[in-house]
Amino acid sequence: MFFDYSSWLCWLLPLVSSLFVPLVAKVSAKARDYYAIGISLVTTVLAFSLVSDVTASSQGLLTSSVTWISQSITAGVFIDPLSVLFTVLVSFFGLIISIYSLGYMKGEEGLTRYYFFLLIFIGSMIGLVVSDNFLQMFIFWEMVGMCSYSLISFWYKRPESVRAGTKVFLMTRIGDIALLAAIGLIYAGLGSFSFRYAIANIGSLEPQIVAAIAFLTLGGAIAKSAQLPLHTWLYSAMEAPTTVSALLHAATMVKAGIYLIARLILILGPLAFEINMWLPTVAWIGVLTAFIGATLALYTPDIKGVLAYSTISQLGFMMAALGTISAHSSLGWFASLFHMMSHAFFEGLGFLLAGGIIHALGTRDMRLMGGLKKLMPITYALSLVMIITTSGLPPFAAFFSKGLVITSISETGNIIQTIMIYATTMLTFAYSLRFITLIFMGNKSEHMEKLHVHEAPRIMLLPAAVLAVLCLVWGLTEPLLGSFMRVEAELSLLGAFLNLETPIFFALLAPTGLLIYLMYYKQNATMVKIRNRQTPLKTILKHGYFFDDLYEGILAKGTVTFSGGVHSSENVASRGFPLGVAGSVNRFAKGVRFFETAAFGAFPQMVAGFVISFAINVRKYLDVLADQLLNLVANRTLSSASKMKKVPQSSLQHYLAAALLGFILIVILIIATMGV
Amino acid sequence: MDFALLLVFILPTIAVPIVYFAAKKSAKLGALIVATVALINIGLVLTTVPAIMDSQPHQYVEKYYWIPVLNAEFTLFVDGISLSISIISLVLIFAAAVFSVNYMQGKKNLPVYYALLSLLSVGLVGVFITSNLLLFYFCWELMLVPAYFIVGNWGYRESYRAAFKLFIFTHAGAVFVLLGIGSIYMATNGITDMFLAQQALLNANPDLLRWILVALTAGFAVKMAIVPVHMWLPDAHSEAPATMSALLSGVIISAGAYAILRLSLGTVFPAVLSLDGGFAVTFLHGLTVFGVISAFFGSLIALVETDIKRIIAYSSIAHMGYVLFGLSLFPTNVLAGGAVAITAALTGTVLHLLNHAVSKGLFFLSAGSVMHQTELRNVSEMGGLAGKMPFTAVSSTIAALSIAGTPPFACFISEFMIFVGAFEIIKTDGFFVLPTALMLVATVLSLAYSLRFVSKVFLGKPKDIAEGEKKIVDVPNYMKLAMAVLVVFVILLGIWPTFFVNLISTVSFG
Repeated sequence: MFFDYSSWLCWLLPLVSSLFVPLVAKVSAKARDYYAIGISLVTTVLAFSLVSDVTASSQGLLTSSVTWISQSITAGVFIDPLSVLFTVLVSFFGLIISIYSLGYMKGEEGLTRYYFFLLIFIGSMIGLVVSDNFLQMFIFWEMVGMCSYSLISFWYKRPESVRAGTKVFLMTRIGDIALLAAIGLIYAGLGSFSFRYAIANIGSLEPQIVAAIAFLTLGGAIAKSAQLPLHTWLYSAMEAPTTVSALLHAATMVKAGIYLIARLILILGPLAFEINMWLPTVAWIGVLTAFIGATLALYTPDIKGVLAYSTISQLGFMMAALGTISAHSSLGWFASLFHMMSHAFFEGLGFLLAGGIIHALGTRDMRLMGGLKKLMPITYALSLVMIITTSGLPPFAAFFSKGLVITSISETGNIIQTIMIYATTMLTFAYSLRFITLIFMGNKSEHMEKLHVHEAPRIMLLPAAVLAVLCLVWGLTEPLLGSFMRVEAELSLLGAFLNLETPIFFALLAPTGLLIYLMYYKQNATMVKIRNRQTPLKTILKHGYFFDDLYEGILAKGTVTFSGGVHSSENVASRGFPLGVAGSVNRFAKGVRFFETAAFGAFPQMVAGFVISFAINVRKYLDVLADQLLNLVANRTLSSASKMKKVPQSSLQHYLAAALLGFILIVILIIATMGV
Repeated sequence: MDFALLLVFILPTIAVPIVYFAAKKSAKLGALIVATVALINIGLVLTTVPAIMDSQPHQYVEKYYWIPVLNAEFTLFVDGISLSISIISLVLIFAAAVFSVNYMQGKKNLPVYYALLSLLSVGLVGVFITSNLLLFYFCWELMLVPAYFIVGNWGYRESYRAAFKLFIFTHAGAVFVLLGIGSIYMATNGITDMFLAQQALLNANPDLLRWILVALTAGFAVKMAIVPVHMWLPDAHSEAPATMSALLSGVIISAGAYAILRLSLGTVFPAVLSLDGGFAVTFLHGLTVFGVISAFFGSLIALVETDIKRIIAYSSIAHMGYVLFGLSLFPTNVLAGGAVAITAALTGTVLHLLNHAVSKGLFFLSAGSVMHQTELRNVSEMGGLAGKMPFTAVSSTIAALSIAGTPPFACFISEFMIFVGAFEIIKTDGFFVLPTALMLVATVLSLAYSLRFVSKVFLGKPKDIAEGEKKIVDVPNYMKLAMAVLVVFVILLGIWPTFFVNLISTVSFG
């Protein structure tokens, strides 16, 4: 019953359980660590259960979906062998890394945040590969990018980690917008995001649109899978804890681009061959990346750098193989995915071992290492397994997988690509040998004199050992995998030995090995002189073919400088323009005020002043006049009254009497005149 | 409920004096009343959802008697878009009020502040829930008064200058709006209702219609802070107190976008489209150009700014550029009944208004938290704050990633829908190819400035604390609560925007 929902649970479980990590961490740190391991374990079991589900189904496809936001925006799962292969890989690696982290991340602060993002990553990555529609896939595509940012800048107090995280997120975003454009075109053309709908109806789109979709999708894959020219971020991502480098940047997240192209090829079907120049472009990008990556791996002194550039190189192999498919042969598609798994195992192994070495020595610089063979014997043995696998020597996994890739490339008949890929295998052997020689062979270096170097703890060696075993046996599963992936190709183990490529391969490897042996192990005088000579080639390699100088020095700095220019001109404009307007308004207002004070202030004031002073003067005169008149009347009245009546000359009484008489007189006058 | 919208209008109004006197007793009480009123309003507004979903045309209208001589009724209405934006505005008001409890503690004249906040919510929500042009304009201008005083009185450096700029610019824009509304009144012989006007304008003079469209849009564009009339925004938003910044950037500039959608495109544009199709298309293309310019302008400057709030302010200009780009994808084809159903692009645009509001609100509140706790403004002086302020760091990172358009946070799905809509339109109108490509590049820039913000403020080596300097701790509880509410909305709108999308999808234009 539980397994009926495994296609949904395998991604929902890690995503939802991540939310509980802070809660579990409150119980105890150990509880949290084991919680993460437990969830990874359950997820792995669920993933494996999908293997039998999809094998049993007749078409090799299981789907189910629910409406999410609207009719066209749904959430669903699309389980076919491709999805299951990736799901198994991601969940299994999640488990391996969770166990390894017990040892590697012991004592670190912020582990709650670490496990939180680890679980979100596992859920998102699985969600990416089981999505049944482009929108959902894109959402998880972005979410793994966000997890990558958070985990790379895990040690956030280090400015280098923060800077690296930012750079990685930004560079992969460039690919993301290309993918977004492709999805936009798909929806505009088909009206649906669903894979099933696209598979059925992609033929209805115009060829130019299909070509645009294909190339834009390739753009997304190039960024995410660190192909030329957007490959430089992978080395910067090495600032992350080694567990993160192993999980995200070796085994799983970088493979998302491979998944994308593999999925697109399945969706396009025969249309893929009709898109002009698309498959050749894929192949060329792959081959060039493989070659350039290998050269950089040979040069770098950084232990994680070798592994990072090796990853870039091997991803190039996978991309190149995808580009070799044709109407006659889908061998390249299978070879790519077969090699993807091998690479996960040997590169993951490499990172786990590097983690142990970095832990013990406290440095990433291989020039400070040497003679670890005796001090870390198990690590040495496992490293041997790793480099033998990387180089592609039998009977280890990559012999079969890389051999198949080389076969598919040479079968296309493209001579230059074939030569380049063979050259890359030589370089791969070279850098692998250099890796093991610098670190393990020779005498103890000065740097190590002061350290007490011990073997890595068992909890870290155990997952590494598991991966080593897988490196050994994975190649032998080739026919099984072929039938699981439902590939129509003749795949036999013996065939791997009995083809043309194998002897050429060995023939090329022998002199390479000799050269490296002389240069690094034997320290042959001439070879050492050649090794130490400063050549222009060295300068080019040191600067990574100047890609980063272009991106960081010109593009990034250029944008910032341009922004600074916009900013300062905006300051001028946004202060200047409103101030200019305000200034004109102010001046106009001043003029208006002048006119207003003059026209409506001074003049009326003048007039009013005149009127008022006139009124005052009139009143004064009138007053005086009235007073005099009144006095006259009063006096006359009084004197006549006093003449008449000899009343005592009391002034108030007389005044009042006179006033009353005067008043009566006036009333009579008024009544008399009113009548007129 | 019959009087739901009227209550939504009245409650904050009568709350103004109540809040004033309550806040005199205790500022916290005043804040909580404002918050409670906002919650009640959310509830009231939600009661209209069944009416919207079930009726034809998916609207809920309440008409009241107002000014008969001007033919103006006090018409309160909601449809899917208005409802969604009102809910989010009320959520932001709630968050701002709760945040203010701790953030504004110790500042002067707090009763006036809370009363003004309540008054602001009247105008703020009123703009979205009315279909009467006069009432719309009334609320539009009503928003300005409390904004001016809050920014001026409780803001930071040269706050009154910033407030003055805010007022003058948006008021000048409002003059154009008034001209437009007046012209609509004249052209339709006295209609003041948006929907009736839209029908009546179909018979109006095309020349006049063109001017009305341009005038209205120009006026609203000032509010939206589109380049080149954006100049008030950086000062106003960065010198305002954090709560006001959140409301300004979250809701008030969204009001400008909403107004363009509702008035310019919803009311006037259908008439222009039917009478002068060529101009209509050119008009939309013009909007696209301004949108792209704003998006780049805002993103580029945010990339180099050093003031913590100015970075976010320019980011708002950039996002309004996105919104304007989305609005320019207005459908120019017509359905059988003469109406146009809302397209994916427009649904995405409206959803983006919602998503941007909560994300930007959260972003400003967290920047305010940083300023409150560290008393710093310049990001060059910050660093490593994640260890000391983990809650704020997480909230701020969520806000920043949302602004950058990263799933599972809010702004991703709305930006995605806008882009998908753009590709749909490219099928019929090739003009949009270059703008769409440029907007895609702009998303890389928005990620750049968001990551820069997070790195400079929270990550990196923590600066050593000098002797006697205050130790930096995380924010007090009310501020945490406010940010937590917005975080929930950012994540909810990112993973399950279905509720709002269903509402918005019911809308049709024309």
